[in-house]
Amino acid sequence: MTTMTQPVNEAPPTAGGPGALSAEQVLGFQRGLARSGIIFSFTGYISEGILKALGDALRQKIRLEVDDRNTVNRVFSVFVEQVQNIIRYSAERIEHADEPPVELSSGMITVGSEEGRFFVICGNVIAREDADGLGHRLRELAGMDSSELRRFYKEKLREPPEEGSKGGSIGLIEIARRASEPIQFDFEHLSDAHSYFVLKAYI
Amino acid sequence: MADMDPIKHEATERTPAVEFDFSAGRYRIAGESYPEDAASFYGPLTRGLREAVEARASETVDFSVELIYFNSSTAKALMNLFQILEDAAGAGVEVRINWCYHEDDETMEEFGEDFAEDFAHAQYRMCPTT
Repeated sequence: MTTMTQPVNEAPPTAGGPGALSAEQVLGFQRGLARSGIIFSFTGYISEGILKALGDALRQKIRLEVDDRNTVNRVFSVFVEQVQNIIRYSAERIEHADEPPVELSSGMITVGSEEGRFFVICGNVIAREDADGLGHRLRELAGMDSSELRRFYKEKLREPPEEGSKGGSIGLIEIARRASEPIQFDFEHLSDAHSYFVLKAYI
Repeated sequence: MADMDPIKHEATERTPAVEFDFSAGRYRIAGESYPEDAASFYGPLTRGLREAVEARASETVDFSVELIYFNSSTAKALMNLFQILEDAAGAGVEVRINWCYHEDDETMEEFGEDFAEDFAHAQYRMCPTT
């Protein structure tokens, strides 16, 4: 159990002083995101409930913009697989055996559009020891064309699950199949134990 | 042996409607499938189907998939169900699988074609709908 110390009797920030609320700043932040084509961006602890709620909003928004059900389905599928990867693989997580149990994973998910194409970006902390293997698998996928990805997906479905896998390798192939160009990815070394992993797919 | 109780689930926002009527040999999965834990949702269905075909709970098996969207862990679960059906057909059960999808849905059509490759004994039909 953690306790938080609250500042007692602290005066509110004076108008215009440091820490004061500025509509200009908030608007600037929101406009900056809009200029980058961002439809929404979520940072923090993600649960399956948040996946459902964001997914619904995403589908509705994309249906308004495009008439093609295949595009809507592809963006939605990439979004679901990326968020479920964060939920299952983020190394920044809270688990608590409360009733009902609490299971939250931290990460970032962003959906936007750029020159008529949608994109989905996810970022989360992973165990550093997993970075090489993940990078290797993603490079392998990046080198495949659509019919090779289709074959590979099927091949993986037939295989028994890998040790310790929660099905994520098929999820990455699914993302690669729905993307219109090879998926981009990068890692940032955080410590001996952790790396930050980011992936971007254009649909 | 006693008749196996059917399994029936209403669709939820993230899990499909399920009707597994073992003694009638009629099976249906319909809707969307991206459950939090695909293994715990599909585990009882896989076990029920396996038990039913091994016990020859019905002479024929009619299995319809009418999914609009499913995630990659559901794909794995479908593959397990299909392997049981193909094995049963190989052992002499009359098995028919209906893969139903909207005619404009390229993803579901492609999945239907890919799953079809694994059936040599069971009858497998692609059922586009409008």
